[in-house]
Amino acid sequence: MWTTPKPNYRRGFCAEGEIAVNIGGVRVVLFGDVLNRYPESRLAELVKCPTQNHEVVSSLCDDFDPSRKEFYFDRDPDAFKCIIDVYYFDEIHIKNGICPICFIKELEFWKIDKSVLDECCKSYLSEKEEELTEISNKVKVILEDMEVDQCFTRAQRCQRYLWRLMEKPGSSLAARVIAIASFLSILVSAVVMCVGTIPELQVTDSEGKLVEHPILEGIETVCMLWFTAEYLLRLASSPNKLNFAFSFMNVIDFMAIIPFYVVLSLTHLGTSSMMELGNVQQAVQALRIMRIARIFKLARHSSGLQTLTHALKRSLKELGLLLMYMSVGIFVFSALAYTMEQSHPETLFKSIPQSFWWAIITMTTVGYGDIYPKTTLGKCNAAVSFLCGVIAIALPIHPIINNFVVFYNKQKVLETAAKHEVELMELKSGREARRETRANRET
Amino acid sequence: MMKTGPRLTTALPPDTIDIIQSKTHTRRVRLNVGGLIHEVLWRTLDRLPRTRLGKLRDCNTHESIIEICDDYSLDNMEFFFDRHPGAFTSILNFYRTGKLHMMEEMCALSFSQELDFWGIDEIYLESCCQARYHQKKEQMNEELKREAENSRDMEGEEFTTTCCSEKRKKLWDLLEKPSSSFAAKILAIISILFIVLSTIALSLNTLPELQDTDEFGQSTDNPQLAHVEAVCIAWFTMEYLLRFLSSPSKWKFFKGPLNVIDLLAILPYYVTIFLTESNKSVLQFQNVRRVVQIFRIMRILRILKLARHSTGLQSLGFTLRRSYNELGLLILFLAMGIMIFSSLVFFAEKDEEDTKFKSIPASFWWATITMTTVGYGDIYPKTLLGKIVGGLCCIAGVLVIALPIPIIVNNFSEFYKEQKRQEKAVKRREALERARRNGSIISMNTKEAFGRSVELMDIMVEKSDEKTEKLHDNHVSPSVQRGTPKLKGQMSPCSPIKTLESSYQEQAKPSGSPQHLSVQKLEEMYNKMAKIQSQPDFDSKEKGPLPKAVGMRAEFEMACIATDGISSTAEAVTHLRSISSIDSFISCTTDFAESSRFTHSSNSNVTGKISTNPSLEPTLEIEQEGSQGTRTPQTGQSKKTSLYSDSPRGPRFNKPHKSHSLKVNFREGEDTGTGPLSDSSSVQSPEVSVYTTASSRTPTKSPENLPPSIFTFHDASINQFIDADTDEEDHLRDGSGTNPSQRLLEKASPKFGHHSSFQQGSNHKGGLQRKLGNSTLPLEGQENHVARELQPLHGEKSHSNA
Repeated sequence: MWTTPKPNYRRGFCAEGEIAVNIGGVRVVLFGDVLNRYPESRLAELVKCPTQNHEVVSSLCDDFDPSRKEFYFDRDPDAFKCIIDVYYFDEIHIKNGICPICFIKELEFWKIDKSVLDECCKSYLSEKEEELTEISNKVKVILEDMEVDQCFTRAQRCQRYLWRLMEKPGSSLAARVIAIASFLSILVSAVVMCVGTIPELQVTDSEGKLVEHPILEGIETVCMLWFTAEYLLRLASSPNKLNFAFSFMNVIDFMAIIPFYVVLSLTHLGTSSMMELGNVQQAVQALRIMRIARIFKLARHSSGLQTLTHALKRSLKELGLLLMYMSVGIFVFSALAYTMEQSHPETLFKSIPQSFWWAIITMTTVGYGDIYPKTTLGKCNAAVSFLCGVIAIALPIHPIINNFVVFYNKQKVLETAAKHEVELMELKSGREARRETRANRET
Repeated sequence: MMKTGPRLTTALPPDTIDIIQSKTHTRRVRLNVGGLIHEVLWRTLDRLPRTRLGKLRDCNTHESIIEICDDYSLDNMEFFFDRHPGAFTSILNFYRTGKLHMMEEMCALSFSQELDFWGIDEIYLESCCQARYHQKKEQMNEELKREAENSRDMEGEEFTTTCCSEKRKKLWDLLEKPSSSFAAKILAIISILFIVLSTIALSLNTLPELQDTDEFGQSTDNPQLAHVEAVCIAWFTMEYLLRFLSSPSKWKFFKGPLNVIDLLAILPYYVTIFLTESNKSVLQFQNVRRVVQIFRIMRILRILKLARHSTGLQSLGFTLRRSYNELGLLILFLAMGIMIFSSLVFFAEKDEEDTKFKSIPASFWWATITMTTVGYGDIYPKTLLGKIVGGLCCIAGVLVIALPIPIIVNNFSEFYKEQKRQEKAVKRREALERARRNGSIISMNTKEAFGRSVELMDIMVEKSDEKTEKLHDNHVSPSVQRGTPKLKGQMSPCSPIKTLESSYQEQAKPSGSPQHLSVQKLEEMYNKMAKIQSQPDFDSKEKGPLPKAVGMRAEFEMACIATDGISSTAEAVTHLRSISSIDSFISCTTDFAESSRFTHSSNSNVTGKISTNPSLEPTLEIEQEGSQGTRTPQTGQSKKTSLYSDSPRGPRFNKPHKSHSLKVNFREGEDTGTGPLSDSSSVQSPEVSVYTTASSRTPTKSPENLPPSIFTFHDASINQFIDADTDEEDHLRDGSGTNPSQRLLEKASPKFGHHSSFQQGSNHKGGLQRKLGNSTLPLEGQENHVARELQPLHGEKSHSNA
């Protein structure tokens, strides 16, 4: 490798088979045969092309000095110094400090394939690219919001207005009021759900069973009606119905509403038709649990929760790892505890599955004290399991936390970047418009 | 700088046609930014016509080009910019690719300054770098804001409003700044002890064994502990009141969070006393008791008083305040988890017999204890479903709590670091101030020192030109004086009092650092100058009829005649000669630097500078260059001046001005000083203009650039060279530097007053200018060139200072 001649900076003239290039002020003398290793590249073409043919030369480079046989390129010299490495080492590393996006543009100019980029720099590049796509997505959303009404029919305009009212709390005062109202209704319905289960506040119905207080039920109904109206309005105003129906947030909304109606219809059926009363009540009970889904509706109003879901989605692998560690630990330690506690006559560990519970509670350092080891060996085992639990939880949790923190911080940065991008686009479009008007005036 | 040398020495700036020609001739342009040469096509620069580089394309005159860049050379189409080269690469790439990226290692603030300079809006920054840029910039802005607030706080503590501010300030320092004195430290420790004591007493009070029972059978405070409590409260109250009285701004003091805590620690005690005393007889004792109980609990707030004495606690409070967003997130996560898991466990455990999960709110407790992994075990699930939910709850709790905490921790650590750094910064600032007060600052700021040495050089220039003028008055040719150092040597001992004076001055100066020495040398030099200058003063005024001096004069005249004879061939007009006499000031200054008489001082001066600050070397080189340039033609020049000196017009135009010299004020001299004088240089023969340009390359040295009055220039130069770090000390020092001459003058001619010499200097110049103004009418066309010459100098000056 070290026998290959290095590029020669600042040498006066060039011999046969060499070409001198001037990259934005930095003069380099290069060997033609080295450049020919990548025949597709711009420099190799330059070597091949006859210097007399001015058209070809000028199409390849920006300027040509026939007296010194020097080709001039109006490009970044720093990036070129990195790119020239490809002819010698078959790989490129991005110099620290050069923006990778910018560097890729340079690569394109020199007609060198991106694949020669080394792995270490590739990951960096992909990171940046991801960021860019995210920003562009955000920009798209912002632009959509700012889009002037192009729909001509009244129905369309109404639809758009409604959409903004329901989905963009920042767009107008009314939209903000609606957002706050829906937030409050979620809280109220959650509180009502909880309070409704307190026995003191329940009333007995004709059959001697405890049912919810009628006032609470009234509030619940009102909230449900509000949720339904909200959901329907959103659905009606959404530009893309299918997309809307299957998006995560709206599925939650739907899940929050539907139990109410199912219960309503079931009780109605149960009283009117010949369905078995017990079955209906069981179904109702099951559906009541689904009411919990309404709490997730809060995620719509909190960016922090969205970040959490995002981070969890991103770190599914780590979550799996966490669960695996935990389950392995649980199996091992519950089995150990079970066998060790067998000797004790009044053992609390009756079976291995039963001691699972103990293992979980110990490993997560909760320790209720409903089951605890009584023999010395068992106690030692408990101590070890506790330590292992701490480690098993702490290790995989770190990447998850990291993901979350990175996401959380990035969210803020991206927001400003997207805003800036929009401004830049406006500026550029404005400049173009000005240029056009100037051109028109000239013609 | 070196490349541009040729342009300056060829004197005349290139014509517009030349510029256009050379511009059209080349497709490329070389941009030298801080030493790094870039080559770029003109058409690339055309892409952004409104930026600095874009404007360069349209500039076809010398002035407009020099407005844009710091220097240029047409031969190889090179433009020099005295800016950071690192930032420029990314800026030039913006022209090439249309995408503005930022070098990663660049500081955002300095990059934004560079962008400002090149006339590019920061909005063009690409979004991949934008995020980083804005983040950094915001951070910096925040930091700057905080710093400004801090300094404002410091300034805010001024005690000028009312009476006995001195004592109040002392009291304030004693109470608020434990590090200010030993007594304050002791006071702080006592205060901490009282806080600890009172909290211990408070908790001991609740021990049943220590409690007494009153007549109603209810337990009350132990009397001993009550005494302790009373003493503590008395101390706290006194402290608070003293603080309040001594505080510079009462409302601000009242609002301060630490003081609110103090107040809350004191108030409950008094309220309890008030309530119990006023309600002793009244029947609603039970209610009062309850209120009193609440206030007793509030006493625990006094533990927060410790925050005053611990930066760690303060930064904790600050962190919590700053990261309320994340805290909110944490609480939200917890609340959601609690709600979900408690309802799940409720539905799972509902049907179990004598279950403790009676309702969802009742199972909140279980969910909280499980999620925070406390696990008391008073409630736990029993069914299988409930246990599964419980297990999930544990894991979810660990996750949910762990997630937002790192952000808060990050905030805390950042703030803590910042706090530490600030403490250090404050200490450094204090040390700096102390050093300034002691006058040992010179070694700390070489720039400052250099600025001062340059000033002194200027003074010398000023003095020398005065001197030459004086010599003109006396018909003594300056050439004689300059050409014959022996004469000068004879001259200095002729006034023994003054030498004593000057030597005394020297000894009075504390000699510390090498810079200091150089300054001292300069002062010494200056003192000698003053002596020389004061000597002709005597002669002209006939005040000090020192026989020796008269003898000297005779000698001078003799030499004058001798030179006259040699220079009789010179046939230049008198105006021209007078102009060349201005040049002679310059040559004079350089002469001093080189002259054998002052060799020791000049040498030491130079070496001192080099040793202290290598970055100054280029300037020094130029100085020397200039001096050499002027030295060679000196003889011819001196001939001219000598010719002038015996010309009959000399005294004629000099004397009337001298008669009303005292009336001329500085302002006038300054106004007329720069403009017409520059005319004078334009009239010169090309040979002469070489010296002026050469010398004008050290802008502060050439008399053209100086307002004639020394003091005004002094201030200006100090402000320019020593920006933020200026303090009285420097002024004083400079003042002392100039003072000896004044003192000498006063001694010599009490009638003359303080500023006579300077006034005269300005006056003479004015006279010259006026005369020149008339004579140079036909040559007005050349005035532009001079203006051009001068502009870059000013521009350079402002750049370097900006």
